[in-house]
Amino acid sequence: MNAYLGVLKKRLSVSFEYVGGLTILLFRTIGWVFAPPYKRFQLFDQMKKNGVDSLSIVTLTAFFAGIVLALQSAYTMRQMSAEIYIASLVSLSMTRELGPVFTALVVAARVGASITAEVGTMKVTEQIDALETLATNPIKYLVVPRFLSLCIMLPLLTIIADAVGILGGYIIGVANLHISHHLYLKKTFDALVYKDVFTGLIKAFAFAAVISIVACYEGMRAKGGAEGVGKATTLSVVISCILVIALDCFFTALFYFVWR
Amino acid sequence: MIKISKLCKNFEGQEVLKGLDLQVNQGETLVIIGRSGCGKSVLLKHIIGILNPDSGQVQVDNQHVAALKGKDLVKLRMKFGMLFQGAALFDSLNVFENVGFALLEHTDLPEAEIRQRVKQALLSVDLLDIEEKKPAELSGGMKKRVGLARAICNNPEIMLYDEPTTGLDPIMSDMINDLIIRLKEKLKVTSIVVTHDMVSAYKVATRIAMLYDGKIIAQGTPEQIKNTTDPFVRQFITGAAQGPITDQRKLENGL
Repeated sequence: MNAYLGVLKKRLSVSFEYVGGLTILLFRTIGWVFAPPYKRFQLFDQMKKNGVDSLSIVTLTAFFAGIVLALQSAYTMRQMSAEIYIASLVSLSMTRELGPVFTALVVAARVGASITAEVGTMKVTEQIDALETLATNPIKYLVVPRFLSLCIMLPLLTIIADAVGILGGYIIGVANLHISHHLYLKKTFDALVYKDVFTGLIKAFAFAAVISIVACYEGMRAKGGAEGVGKATTLSVVISCILVIALDCFFTALFYFVWR
Repeated sequence: MIKISKLCKNFEGQEVLKGLDLQVNQGETLVIIGRSGCGKSVLLKHIIGILNPDSGQVQVDNQHVAALKGKDLVKLRMKFGMLFQGAALFDSLNVFENVGFALLEHTDLPEAEIRQRVKQALLSVDLLDIEEKKPAELSGGMKKRVGLARAICNNPEIMLYDEPTTGLDPIMSDMINDLIIRLKEKLKVTSIVVTHDMVSAYKVATRIAMLYDGKIIAQGTPEQIKNTTDPFVRQFITGAAQGPITDQRKLENGL
């Protein structure tokens, strides 16, 4: 019994230490965001790498998600002759849940992994130490541009994913379920209110902060050469995905109970 | 002047430095020798403030390195140039951006002037017209020399060399040794060289100190070290497989 308690205590202590480390890095990063000099070129470069270059995979995922959502709901709705509600269901599901969550998961896998691998390689090859010897703070130089770029680009990608997902549902609704084009669009926009899109964007912003901080933190903790970088990259994606789902649950509950 | 007193550092319970005392005088080239993993690089990282000691202190020009923060720490680090074992060039930047990094980040100098300074630094290490190349396009020896050019580009007062000749062929190693001597004579810098290459140590040193078991166990001129009777130092400088260093390791491992 004591042995189990000991293991539990150790695991809890490691988890608290990890969350503490992430929180400290988040606050330090926010502190450095406002400290000059402001490197616009680095920020734009990261926005391109992390945002623009993710556009194709995010668009594709959202498009298929919209199609699948429309088809799966049609299966049940048909039995009640309520196919017309597919439009509202797709638009609400995409903007409130699937758009932000799918985009965040895709970005965590694509961008989070890339950030951890890059920062981790810099760590194990002493490039981060070299930055410090050149009187440059690694958080300001490495973490801030990645953090800011994701906080700007992930909400933008989410808006695009929402739109493309709705388009996927529209194609199924109009072409396959023979709902009239005007009626589908009317039902889509009637169902949507600003709050739906806005809550999705708040989630996207929080996911961006989590993905970038976890990715950089894991990269900066990497040790032991290529194997260590590989482990850090896997861990970064796994932890980001878990935290995205957990945060989504938290925000959904918050918006449900507090902001009805 | 650099003064290190009673410096202790442990990593996850393993004591690496155990009350190390050392002084480095202005203008000298101190070579620190010792086995791989004995804490030589850890010592360098304490001197430049990348690592903080568990106890003890490092003073550079009468400033406690571990106590410095913000602008004071930046100011101190600008006094240093450091050459890393693997050169540690930034993969995503080209040679110009690597060598001129400190000037681009911390000064308002016009780009033309920075280009001129980078060119001069590269010339000092016998490299020409490679500014636009990425580190991946360079050989091991060229990377080391670019790393050296980066270290000297902002005219440091103190140079730290971490295993400058490791992984290089003997000719390239000797070229790096010549560069270290030339830079010392030309820039009048204080240098600390960490190495286990005795050929290099004898060539560049004005003084040699041996790090063993977390402490400096011997120090002196290259001649004094060459003629020492200390059995630990003798085993290391002659590279003998049998001796007190290996006997003690066997005892510690219970063999």
